[in-house]
Order: sequence, then C-alpha cells, then structure tokens
Amino acid sequence: MVLNEDLVFKVLDIALDMGASYAEVRYQRDEFSEVALRNGNVIGFSKDISEGIGIRVIVDGALGFASTNILTVGEARKAAERAINRAKALAKLMKDPITFSEERVGRATYNLVPKKDLSEFSVEDRIALGTEIHKLIVSTVKEVKVAVTAFFIRDHIQEKFIVNSDGAYIRSYIPRLSITTNFVLVHPQKGTLQRYISYGASGGPELIKEWKPEDEIINEVKNLENVLMKGKEPPKDEIDVVIGPEVIGLIVHESAGHPMEADRILGREAAQAGESFVKPEMIGKYRIGTELVTIIEDPTIPGSYGYYLYDDEGVPAKPRYLYYKGIINEPLHNRHTGRIFGVGSNGAARAMDYKSEPIIRMSNTYFKPGNMRFDELIEDVRLGVYIKSYMEWNIDDIRWNQRYVGLEAYIIRDGEVREDEPVRNPVLEITTQGFYSRVTGVDKNLRFYPATCGKGEPAQGVPVWIGGPNVRVSRIRLGVRV
Amino acid sequence: MELIHNARKALDKLKMKYDDVAIKMMLKDSVMVKIWNNQISVTQSWRTIESRIYLAKDKRILELSLSLERPEDIVKVCDEMSKYVDVMKESEIYAPLPEPTAYKPLRDLTDARIRDYMDNPLPLVEGIIGSALDNGAQRVAGTLDLSVGRKALVTSKGFEGEEEGSEVMCYLRAFKGDVSGHWAYGSRRVSKESIEYVGRKVAEIATLSKDKVNVEPGKYDVILSPLVVGNLLNDVAMMASGLYIMMGFSMFMKFKIGDFVASGSVSLYDTPRNIELARSTSFDDEGIETYDKPIIEGGKFMNVLHNVKTSSKLGGETTGNAGWITPLPWNIELKPGDYSEEELIREVRRGFLITNNWYTRLQNYVEGQFSTVSKDAVFYIENGEIKGYTERIRIADTFINLLRNVRAIGKTQYLIRWWEVRIPSKVPYLLATNVNITKPYT
Repeated sequence: MVLNEDLVFKVLDIALDMGASYAEVRYQRDEFSEVALRNGNVIGFSKDISEGIGIRVIVDGALGFASTNILTVGEARKAAERAINRAKALAKLMKDPITFSEERVGRATYNLVPKKDLSEFSVEDRIALGTEIHKLIVSTVKEVKVAVTAFFIRDHIQEKFIVNSDGAYIRSYIPRLSITTNFVLVHPQKGTLQRYISYGASGGPELIKEWKPEDEIINEVKNLENVLMKGKEPPKDEIDVVIGPEVIGLIVHESAGHPMEADRILGREAAQAGESFVKPEMIGKYRIGTELVTIIEDPTIPGSYGYYLYDDEGVPAKPRYLYYKGIINEPLHNRHTGRIFGVGSNGAARAMDYKSEPIIRMSNTYFKPGNMRFDELIEDVRLGVYIKSYMEWNIDDIRWNQRYVGLEAYIIRDGEVREDEPVRNPVLEITTQGFYSRVTGVDKNLRFYPATCGKGEPAQGVPVWIGGPNVRVSRIRLGVRV
Repeated sequence: MELIHNARKALDKLKMKYDDVAIKMMLKDSVMVKIWNNQISVTQSWRTIESRIYLAKDKRILELSLSLERPEDIVKVCDEMSKYVDVMKESEIYAPLPEPTAYKPLRDLTDARIRDYMDNPLPLVEGIIGSALDNGAQRVAGTLDLSVGRKALVTSKGFEGEEEGSEVMCYLRAFKGDVSGHWAYGSRRVSKESIEYVGRKVAEIATLSKDKVNVEPGKYDVILSPLVVGNLLNDVAMMASGLYIMMGFSMFMKFKIGDFVASGSVSLYDTPRNIELARSTSFDDEGIETYDKPIIEGGKFMNVLHNVKTSSKLGGETTGNAGWITPLPWNIELKPGDYSEEELIREVRRGFLITNNWYTRLQNYVEGQFSTVSKDAVFYIENGEIKGYTERIRIADTFINLLRNVRAIGKTQYLIRWWEVRIPSKVPYLLATNVNITKPYT
C-alpha cells in the first residue's frame, strides 16, 4: 500500500469537523495488467493503475460522495468540502432523511495470499499460454474453419483501506487472475458459431493448473463443431430440460441475486439497473420455487472471484440465503436499506474503485447442490434437452422475464445424453417463477464461473462468481432462435 | 493545471527510450445527482486526473492508464514497464504513429452554464422532478450528470493539442400505475428548458394509455423511440471498429465496403465534429484531425472506423477514430427522414411503439444475432392507432434483418445519452417491419 494512513484519518476528521453526522473514507488502489492476443499473435500489453480516495458523508439527512486521485491533504479537504456542500445544498429535497443501521463494524487486516505471487507469472508464459490455446483450437477442428481467435489474460490486484466515523478500520489485499478466449467457427453451408469462455478467481498463477484451460477448450471446440455441423432444432413439445452449472449460475445471478438487492426493491436503482418483482411484504412468505430451490450468496468462499471478509461499510461478510427451500428469504442489505427494513446490514456494500460509492452488490451466487448423481438426474427423462453453455441472454428490469440461448446442447433420450444428437440454439424464455416452480431435480455437482456484474451510475463492474449444479426443470417448451 | 506542459515534459524523457510515444492527460470535474422516489439518493462529485500513455519499441506495444499527473512519476512507472519490452513479442497490429496533420480546432465545446450548475444543480433538479410530477407522473427516478473536462495530447511525432469541453447527461424515468416512461438528454450544452423537456416527456409516455392489452409472439411492425434506436445503433457503430472486425466481435466481418447492409433510408454517421454531442473532438488519440463520416450511407456499408494500426492491417487510411489500440465511434447520428411521429404511428397496421429497451446481448456477433428487452412503456398499435400498453416484450432478431427492414424514419432528431446509450447519439424515431417479437413462456 502506497498511501500514508494519516491522510485517510485526517480527511475523516475534516469531514466530521465540517458537520457530517457520518463520514467514511476509503483509499483504494486497483492495478490491472493484461496481455491481448489475436490468432496466437500479440496485440499488446496494458497496465491500468487507479488509485485515490472516496469520501462519503451524511449531512442534514442527505448522502454525499466525492473522490479525488490527487493525494494531498489540500485536495482531499476540497473533496470533503464538495461532498458536504453539494449534499447540503440539495438536502431540502429530502423527505426521508438517510440514516444507517447500527452495526458492530470490523477492525481487521486481511490478505489473500496466493500459492505463487502474480509477479512470478511472466509475460512470456502468459503469451505462451495464449499462443498454445490458439494452436489447439485450430488443430482440433476437422470440417470447419476457425475464422478468428482472441485471448486475454488479466490480473487485478486490489487494495482497500476503509475507515469510518463508527470506528471501522479495514485493510485488505486481494489478487485475482482471469483468462478469456473467444473463437468463431465457420462452415460455408452451416454458417458460424461463436463461443466466449472465461476463467477467473482470486489467487495467483497456480490457478492455471487447476483450470486446465487447454483440455477444456479442446473439448469445447470438438463439441461445438459437432453442434455447428449436426445441430437440430429442439423438440417443440413440453419436455424436461437439464441445465448445466454455467447456465444455472447465470440464471440465479439474474433472477435470484439481482431481485434480492434491497436497494432495487426500494427503487433506488429504478432508472438504471431497474427495480424488482420482489416487494418487502413477500420476504419470508412468498413461494417462488419448489422445495429444491435454495440460492446462496456468499462473499467468504476462499479463492472466489467475489471474495471479501468485510464490506466497504466495515460490516463483516457472511453467507446470505436469498431463496430458501423455494421461499423468498433474505435480501442483500447495506446499512441504509438495513435501517429501512429494520434488519441491519448483511455486509453487501461494495465499490468498484476509489471513484465509486459503495452500493449493494452480489459476490458469489449459487444454486445449492442436492444429493443426486447426474445419471440419476436424467435417468427418468424420456425426451429432453441438456443445455451446457450459452451466449445470448437478458432479463427485464424487474427480473421476471428472462431469456437464455444455449450454445452446447444435446437431446436427452431415454435417460441418456445423446452427444450424437446436438441441438442448435435452444431458447429458454421464461418467467422467474415459471422457472423455479418447475425445478424437479438437482444434482450434487457444484461449479463456479467468473463474471463482471454491472450496476450503478456511473456504472460499476465488480468481479463475481456465478454457479451451481445441474438442475432439471420439467414441462418446458423451448424456443428456436430466428 | 498545466496538462500540456506536464505531458510534454514526460514525453521528452520517454521518447529517448521508445520508438513511439503518445501521452494523453485528462482532468475532469464532475457532479452527478441521483434521484429516486422524487428525492435525492446521493450527490456525487469527482475531480480526477488521468494519464494515458502509449509506448512502442521494436514493434512491441505497451499501453498504460495511470492516476498520475507529475511527469517524473509517470516516467518512473514507464521505466518500470520497460522490462516488458524485452520479453514481449512484436505486435500483430503495430504501425508507427502518424505524422501530425494540421487540425481545425472545434469552438464552443464548453458551456459556462454547466460550470455554474455544477456548483448549484438545485434549479435543474427541481425543474426535472417538478415538470414530471406536474404532468401526471406519480414518482420519478433518474440522474443529472454535469462535467467539465480538459485533455492534452502530445506524440513523439510532434503533435500537440489541447481541448476543453463540458457535458450534461440527464435521464429520468416516471411511473404511473403499471406504466413507466423514460427519456434522456445528452449534450455539451445545457438549458433549463432542455432538462424540463425530459421531465415532461417521461410523464407524457407514462400517461399515454391506461388500457392493457395482451399480445402474442410473432412478426410485427415496430416503431423504435430514439432511446431504442440509440441503444441498437451504438452496437452497430461499435461493430464498425476495425479492431472489433479483426477480433471476431462484428457483423461487418461478413461484408465488404459497398455492400447493402440496410434499407436505403438508413444513413448512420460517426460525427466527431458535431459540437452538440458530448464526445465531439477535433483530434483523435494519434493526433489525426477528426471528420464526420458515414458508417452506412443509403443502406450501403461505407467505412470501417480505423486508427493507423487497423488501417494498415485491413487496408485503407485512418479515419481519425483512434484509440491507440481500438478505434471507436465518437458520436453517432442517424440522418432524419421525413415522417412526423404521428405519421409513423399511422403507417403501422399491426405493431408496437417501443419507448425504451435495455440488456441487448448477442448470440453471435458475426451473424449479428441479438435480443433486447423493453424497459418502459410498449404500446400496441392497430390500424394506425394506439390501442393500449402491453407487458414487457423482447426483440429477438438480427441486426441485418432489422436494418434492412427499416421502412420510415422520423424527421425530428433527439440528443440522447443515458445508461444504455453510452455513445452520444443524435437519432430520430424509426419504423421497421417484420421484426421478430418474443415473450416468456409461463
């Protein structure tokens, strides 16, 4: 950490002396390094270092935030003045003054220590990995051509130092690594197929050995060539659909995680990320799915992409059960919504960088696995479709009407996944309740995938994991992509 | 703060060590007021200095973005980066920075009223909330964003340029019962009237129809509001980037210059010289004078957006759209047609007026297969008349189908910028036929 802690405490004192009833100062440094390749050849190397302080205050019942990356006492004082004066100037429009819940905030320092430091992962080795993956993709295809491949490898070192007027003192250091590959397969008669694959987690270069991206990508290319060459439309009737962890992770992120953000339930994000079908009176009562549906949000998973132990308001992190056995259960809260709902914060406030206000965010969201083996999950399926991966998806702004278009998918016939019967672009377009109320089986696998979740204005992208097991949903009518 | 002075000092040190150097320094002051439930959720202020540095040696490319302003600090970090040069490989897209060209500076990029409103945004905030509530909205949410920024660019080829500009971005969403209306405004200039128009317009949309109608999936005529047009054409314009084409993220991979990619009524321009729009600029990041150019003209694909790297790789000349690595559109404009908005509605036998959308995602960039969800009011139209509002629907089609099925374009253009329209856009309403509309399976 480059910053002198004294400056952070000095700014906190300045904000309180100027009349803030609550003040919080966060120093944050984010360093990204990325190598980009096209067709195995280097495009360039980039480094992005963002470092500064964000100051948040409550004054006259209004919330103000200001940031600067000019790290002198003079500039920091001016930033505190801007946060306070501009909030005060608009305080007359406040009908409901903003207050925070009382919390036992933390005083802690924690570092995620990778097995190997990211600095030991040389640029040469990163380039070699991208080149190797390109060669594997090109050498794996048989009947189709590879129009283009792209490869990005990125590390992100995030350091935070947070203090607030309630006594929080949190220092943290989290390194992350991610790789992403895009490839386009093309055939003169069958057209094109595009796949975007990502790996990501907190940690160091040891993650590459865990991920084994070369092996997985070879399999993906083989399978997707099969889909491109032989894929047929999905059955038109109502069938059982088995959805793999990649798609399930996305579904729970979109239709359980987002609608259970308390700021969205209250309308704070109404004009940007939208609102929620969930109303306060539904919490703890409303059945959204079958007994098999439990969706967990947990920042504390070691090595996860969305890992943290204290949120940016100093509140200790813990697992939250968003949907519990099919019932809408526990929204994600910060200290503001925790006060309004009368339940306190459950540690969900995160900021993307020093310029960003902490807002309610997901971390690692997953569908709780069940007890079945995969073969048990599909053994009773006479006719169905297994959807393993996706490209296109979206969901409406209240998180009710959603669509996922499968990429690698197969017919299930008489209890067996038929890899000789691939399905092209099956469309799952369904309501949130329509989906969760049709869950009839959950296997015991659990796999996570990285994503960058967007929310807020200015938009904040934060790293998250999404994941789950294989899940069977019954009586589904799949659509066909035009 | 002497941006150009600091940039020049850093350049003088770095150009002794690298074949190509470009430094862009930016200082920006911003204030954003966020509105929810007719009051303020947060007022945010930023003062940010950022230095972006492009370095190339022996055809190896390094790019940096740093929260630093002092030349000695910038040079120190760049010196630490020099170790990567030896281990990097030649860049596939390397081309030398261009010789500087003379450029005609754009005038009047800064509106002094924006600086005044940054110190006291209350009149604008009261104006936008009040105009929506006075016109029938029950509650509103939105954002008012005001900023003034300065950039300085120097290159090792001798280019020096400096430019200051202001920006306003304002958008609001109004709710009345089950229906919501949304509008946006983005420009370099602000007036109380332009902001209050946003408030009136959202209330007008939210209160246009009280009757709910049920609709089935299928092919329909659709009138797209400027917010929807802006969102979808942002994606189309981005896909015209030379690097997007090279990397497999573009439907233009399948087309040559001169191919018909849209109906003859579609002319889509990149307009960096339009000083109404917030990303107007007189020079790009390589020090090339900008100019307005068609991406699509009369339905024909006319220009890939280039910097010197992508133009040297794909052929052609730079179009003044650098990005050192990625060329991008500055602002976009869809040229107007000659239909009033009432006339567009009268043209529709069976279709929708979609007033806003979000979450546009692609199954396959090369094919341009996308879907997008309506976000605010969707009105069902039959025989030229609005019959009522519908639940949320989805357009699920390809960009090529949509562009080729454009039948009529509105004659009034609007300045649009908001959360889902990141490239400042000057766009009218449009009517497209035979567009695929889907609904969720319940």
